[in-house]
Amino acid sequence: MSKRKTLIKVKPNKYKNGDIVKVSFMVMHPMETGLRKDKTTGKFIPAEYIKNVKFEYNGKVFTNMNIWETLSVNPVLTTYMKVDGEGVLKVTFTDNEGAVEESSQKIKPKG
Amino acid sequence: MQRRDFLRGLSVAAASAVVVTPSVSFAADEKPKGSNALSYKEALAAVTGSKTPEVSKKIALKVPEIAENGAVVPVTVEVDHPMNEDDYVKSIHVFATKNGNSRCVDAHLSPANGKAMLSTRVKLGETQEVAALVELSNGTFLISSQSVKVTIGGCG
Repeated sequence: MSKRKTLIKVKPNKYKNGDIVKVSFMVMHPMETGLRKDKTTGKFIPAEYIKNVKFEYNGKVFTNMNIWETLSVNPVLTTYMKVDGEGVLKVTFTDNEGAVEESSQKIKPKG
Repeated sequence: MQRRDFLRGLSVAAASAVVVTPSVSFAADEKPKGSNALSYKEALAAVTGSKTPEVSKKIALKVPEIAENGAVVPVTVEVDHPMNEDDYVKSIHVFATKNGNSRCVDAHLSPANGKAMLSTRVKLGETQEVAALVELSNGTFLISSQSVKVTIGGCG
């Protein structure tokens, strides 16, 4: 499976140490329920969804989400995070077939 | 004799037709169940165990009252609760009560979040209630729900 397109957004753009920032994780994923039929062949499209999303900041997991196929196509997951020094924000997600992918972004507080 | 046999055969055929037709139409109407199908009651019991969650105004559940497209329904859950080391929001669960698989998200939070909030987009198959269940670190459960009118269902 090729790598999925992901995007991590941190809001607001400028933040200081100790600030609480909004972290959004977006991934391009079909989130197939396995109950939809292919109109041309009449067969069910196999289920394909993300099972688990883990938000890590400097190696420490701060949010762990179990999600199911009931989420929309191209899911967006938003949570808050307390900035505590420079570091790396890493998001790891696991497929229903066990494929693990990760994406990361640098956290650089100013001031 | 021949007439009697004929009538008997006819009645058997009619009986079998009666038995067969509803089962056929039932099979056609029945929707296939997903591998994760779980009703709202079962899903709620699996999380809370024997405890009963109390309805709370601390939870701000933001869902549109009328969703034109059931495939993309934004859901935001905010909990007005401090996030200290010894008193914080442990997890936020979002349920769609009438979906085949009623579970949407289980978010396990920690004090490092700073604020207890979860925002995502869910699929809703029909007009139903969306419920947010919150577990605090001291083991109590809070719940809040809101009904959403779905114009076009979004589950395949």
